[in-house]
Amino acid sequence: MTRVAPTPRVGRTLTTTDVARSTIVIAVVLVIQHTILDSVRVGGAHPDLMLLLPIAAGYAAGPDRGAVFGFITGLVADLFLPTPYGLSALVGCLLGYSTGLATRGLVRSSWWLPSVVAAAATAAGLGAYAILGAVLGDPAMLRTYLVPALVVGTPSAALLAVPILRFVTWAVPEPGPSRGVAGGGGLR
Amino acid sequence: MLLVLASIAIITVDYRGEAHGVISGAKRGAHDAFAPIQRGVDDLARPVGSFLSGAVHGGDLETQNAKLRREIGTLQRQALMSQAARNSLRALERLDQLPWVGSIPTVTAQVTALSPSDFAASIQLDKGSKSGVAVGMPVVGGAGLVGQVIEVWSSGCTVRLVTDVDSSVGVRFGAAGNLALVQGSGLGRSLAVNLIAPGTPLHKGEVLTTSGLQYAQYPADIPVASITSFSSTPSATQETVSARPLADLAILQYVDVLQWQSTP
Repeated sequence: MTRVAPTPRVGRTLTTTDVARSTIVIAVVLVIQHTILDSVRVGGAHPDLMLLLPIAAGYAAGPDRGAVFGFITGLVADLFLPTPYGLSALVGCLLGYSTGLATRGLVRSSWWLPSVVAAAATAAGLGAYAILGAVLGDPAMLRTYLVPALVVGTPSAALLAVPILRFVTWAVPEPGPSRGVAGGGGLR
Repeated sequence: MLLVLASIAIITVDYRGEAHGVISGAKRGAHDAFAPIQRGVDDLARPVGSFLSGAVHGGDLETQNAKLRREIGTLQRQALMSQAARNSLRALERLDQLPWVGSIPTVTAQVTALSPSDFAASIQLDKGSKSGVAVGMPVVGGAGLVGQVIEVWSSGCTVRLVTDVDSSVGVRFGAAGNLALVQGSGLGRSLAVNLIAPGTPLHKGEVLTTSGLQYAQYPADIPVASITSFSSTPSATQETVSARPLADLAILQYVDVLQWQSTP
């Protein structure tokens, strides 16, 4: 049997396979979140994989693809949340974009870097979510719910960052050689 | 930038209620599509666990001791399952004997999930519009009020718990029938009881029941909470009162949805 060499994924546009893989990643993570992680509740809060997805996408594939992935992930997540529709999409695209932008120039040789980035970005994402929720008329999101969400969400994001990053990297290709150093490290 | 604008547009449209039907429809569809997957994963998890356990203990090198241990384990598991079944039965029996439900028709539902969001105190039930559940219906547990249905799809619904910060319940207490407002402060936290005038006689453990006033969101006389502490300062315009929900919201298994809706 002749083996066909896989198409190099670096430097090309999104293909149907990439879209299909992204759909699988979002669906699998959604199922894990709502069947398992929603029950892992400490002090009223639980780990949030749906927030980790845009962070991983921004880290793996840069700001633009991070933003698109975050927007779509957020729209899907919002279907199952009682909070205003579109809020997760807004936070997701901001988070994917800013994570991609902030980590673009990093040399990715440290095993702990994804965990640190995930923890910091999750804290920022939860903060943004609570602030935007408060602006939209629910001040309790900032006053009451933010602290437990940070206490549980940040360390759990650090713990789950590496497997989620590997999963997302399988689905979201890098945008191209322009990412330079950021594209190549030992994360994948 | 385009995505940010698109997100803001979606939020604005949802906030103003202009596309509420479309968004609600999409949410209902997503919940209906997801419900079988959720049930399937729940059903799968148990046999997989049993299979892995059986594989570990099913090798050729298994000794008689191991067989005996497995038998003991099976018996213990059966005993625990019987205990779990008895607990479920007791929970259902308690629901059948709620005195304050009166003649209001009820739908008994199982709690399928805790809040999917860290920013709201809610639960999900396995009964929805197919079973006659509608938005606004009160939900009660063994000991008292649990919350109110805020979202319904065909096979399930979301209930906002009384501990959610957006929850407000008009209550009555004491021999004089004093009125107050119980408000949530977040999951696992005490309830705040507001609008009690300074000098109102209060007692620890006093039970607050729904007031059932005109336009109230709940029927009258459902136990809501019991007072845990109260204090007052000379210049205060109201007593500072905390209360604990009577329904144990941490271990809810079965609840009753009251098919009752407030008169507009």
